[in-house]
Amino acid sequence: MNKNLRAVVSLLTVAMLLLAACGPAATTAAPTQVPPTKAPPTQPPPTQPPVSGEPVKATPGQAVSMVLLPKFLGILPFDQAHDGAEEAATELKNPEALQFLGPTPENSVAGQIEIVTTATTQGVDAIMISNNAGDQIAPAAKAAVAAGIKVVTWDSPIPSAEGEQLFIAQVDFDETGTVMADMALSILGADGGQFAVLSASPDAANQNAWIAAMQEALKDPKYANLELLDIVYGNDQSEDSYNQALALVDKYPDMELIMAPTTVGIAAAAKAMQDEGLCDKVKISGLGLPSEMVSYTLNDCAPEFALWSFVDLGYLTYYTSYLLATGAIEGKEGETFEAGRMGTYTIEKDPTRDAGLRVLMGPFTVYDKTNVEAASK
Amino acid sequence: MRNLRRLKSWEGLLLAILVVVVVNNAVQSPVYLSVENQVNLFQLFVERIIVALAMTFIIINGEIDLSVASVMGLASCLLAFLHEQSVPMPAAIVVTLTVGVIVGAFNGFWISVVGLPSLAVTLAGLIGYRGVARILVEDRSIGNFPEWFNRLGQQPLLDPLPLASIIFFILLVVAVVVLQYSAFGRYVYVIGNNREVARYSGVKVRRVKMMLFIASSTIATLAGLLLAARLGAVRGSTAEGFELDIITMVLLGGVSIFGGSGTLVGVGLSILLVLNLRNGMSLVNITSNTQTGVIGALLILSVLIPNWTQDARSLLSRRRRTGHTPVTGEEKGG
Repeated sequence: MNKNLRAVVSLLTVAMLLLAACGPAATTAAPTQVPPTKAPPTQPPPTQPPVSGEPVKATPGQAVSMVLLPKFLGILPFDQAHDGAEEAATELKNPEALQFLGPTPENSVAGQIEIVTTATTQGVDAIMISNNAGDQIAPAAKAAVAAGIKVVTWDSPIPSAEGEQLFIAQVDFDETGTVMADMALSILGADGGQFAVLSASPDAANQNAWIAAMQEALKDPKYANLELLDIVYGNDQSEDSYNQALALVDKYPDMELIMAPTTVGIAAAAKAMQDEGLCDKVKISGLGLPSEMVSYTLNDCAPEFALWSFVDLGYLTYYTSYLLATGAIEGKEGETFEAGRMGTYTIEKDPTRDAGLRVLMGPFTVYDKTNVEAASK
Repeated sequence: MRNLRRLKSWEGLLLAILVVVVVNNAVQSPVYLSVENQVNLFQLFVERIIVALAMTFIIINGEIDLSVASVMGLASCLLAFLHEQSVPMPAAIVVTLTVGVIVGAFNGFWISVVGLPSLAVTLAGLIGYRGVARILVEDRSIGNFPEWFNRLGQQPLLDPLPLASIIFFILLVVAVVVLQYSAFGRYVYVIGNNREVARYSGVKVRRVKMMLFIASSTIATLAGLLLAARLGAVRGSTAEGFELDIITMVLLGGVSIFGGSGTLVGVGLSILLVLNLRNGMSLVNITSNTQTGVIGALLILSVLIPNWTQDARSLLSRRRRTGHTPVTGEEKGG
C-alpha cells in the first residue's frame, strides 16, 4: 500500500516537474526567428507598390530556418522536391540547414499536425507543407502563423486556405483536367470508350481538384464519347492502388483505360495490368514520373502520361518561402518576384479556392515513347 | 510477491529512462522545457493517452479492445454528421456519447455474455465501426463546427491547460483510485489472473467485463469528440491506426498482455516516456521513420526483459521445487 502511494506520488511529481520546471522564463518567443533588423539595406523596401514595381529579387545569405514537409516520407516525387529545395538553399546561401521532415505514410495526418506544431514550438521561420490532412491541419497552421511563421503550401494546399499564406501550384488545376481529358481521348481514339479514375486519398485536395476539373472538361462535345465510370481511391499506397486497379477491371469488363492522377497510383495500376497481361485491353494514363513509368510506356501499358517537374516545384517553393521569410515579399496579391533560374512569378488569386493566393508554376510535359527515355535518366 | 518486485523494477527502469530522456531533451533543445512545448507534447497525443487509461483496465483484465480507434473515428464522424444535419451541438454531443455507451455494451455483450474472445469481437468492431464512420461522412471533410467547440479543443481552458489535458489528469486520478484502491480494481486483477478462480470466489466476472467494455468505448467516444474539436474538421479516416499507439503505451508500461499484472504508475511513466521521447526526437529533427523504430525497439525490450527475468526466476524456483506461481492481484489485498 505505502509503496503504491509512494509510486503514485512520484509519478505525479514527475508530471508536475515536467509541467512546471520551465517556469516563467519560458515564453513563446521564437529564438531563431530572424529579427526584421537583419534585413540588409540593399533590400527593396517592403512598402513598395507591388503591382507596378520591378520584380523583387532575393538577397542571398540571410539566415532563415525552414522546414519542408511532404505528405509523407519514402516516395520519389517528394525526394525530388527536396532536391530542388536544397538547390535553391545553396543558391541563396542560407546558412540555416533546410529540414526535410515528414510523417510515415500510415500516420500522415496526425504526423503532419505534429510536425507543424513542433516546428512552431521551435520557432522556425517558414514551414512548407504538401498538405495531406485536409482542413484538419488548419488549426496547427493558424497557430504557426499566429507565432509569426510563414506557412507556404506546395503540391497540395489547405482547402479552406486558413493558416496558409501562399500556395505554390505546380500547374493550373483546370489545365490538369484538360490534359487528362486530352490524354484519354488520344489513347481511346475518336470513337471514345469507358474509363475510370484511380486517385490517391479521398481527402487529397490536389487530386480532388484535378478530377473535378477533368469532369468539367469532359462536358466539352469534343469528349462526348468518353464515359467516366467510377472514381476509386488507392490512398497513395502501392498495394491498395494495385488491388483497386484490378478490382476496376473485374467490375467493368468494357473499361479500356484507367486514369490515375497520382504517381503512386499510375505506377501500381500499370504494374497490375502488366502482371495480369491486360495491357492490350486496359491502358493506363495519368500523372507519373518518367523514371518509374519508362518501362510501361515502352511496352505500351501506359502509352501517354503527364507531369511537371517536382525538382522545379521544390526549388520555386523554397525560393518563394525564403523571400517571404526574409520580408522581401509580403505574400500579397499582385506582388512580382524573381525566383532564380526559373524566372519571374506573380502572386495571384487561386481560382480553385475563394480565400487562397497562389503562385502558378506550370507547365505540363506529356510523356510518350518519343521522350520518356530521355526524361527518365 | 516476486512479480511485485519485478514490476517495481520495471517501473524503476522506465523512470530511469524517462529521466535520461528529459535531461537529454532539455540539453538538446532550448524550447523543450517551455510551457508551450510541454502543453503541446500532451495535446498532440491527449486523445490517445486518455484511451490508454481505459485500455490498461482491459488488458489487465486479460482482454483487448482493438476497436477503440474506430470508435473514436465513429464518434467524431457521427458528431460531424449530426452537426451537418443541423442538430444543435450540445444535443449532437449527447447523442454521440450515448451511441458510445451502446457500442461498448454491444462489444461487452458478445464478450462477457456470449463468451466470444475479445480479440475477435473488437477486431470486427475495428472494421465495422470504421465502416459506419466512413458511410456517415463518405469522402468528405466536415468542419465548420461552432466557435466555442473549436475553442475548447484548440485554446487553453485553465491557462495553459486545454480541456482535453485537464480531462486526462482527472481521469488519471480516477483510474488510479478505482484500479489500485477499490474492490472493483481488485476484481479486474483477479479475473485477469484466473477467470475460473475469480468466478468460483464469487466475483461477478460478466458484470466486470461488461462494465470495462462500456467504459472503454465511452472513453474512446469522449476522446473522439475531443479530437474533432482539436482538429476542427473530421473525415472518415480520423484516428485511424491510433489503437496501436494506445496498446503500445500500455504494454510498454509493464502491463502483461496475458492479463493479471501491471499498474497505472507503469502506464503513466510509459506515457510520459513515449511523449517526451517523441517530442525530443522531433525537436532535434529526427525523422518519423527513426522515431517509429525507436519506439518499436523499446516495446520489444518491454516484452523481452520481463520474459527473460521470469524465465530466469522460474528456472531458479524449479530448482527449489516450490512450484508456487505468484499472483500479482493479491498485492492489492491490503
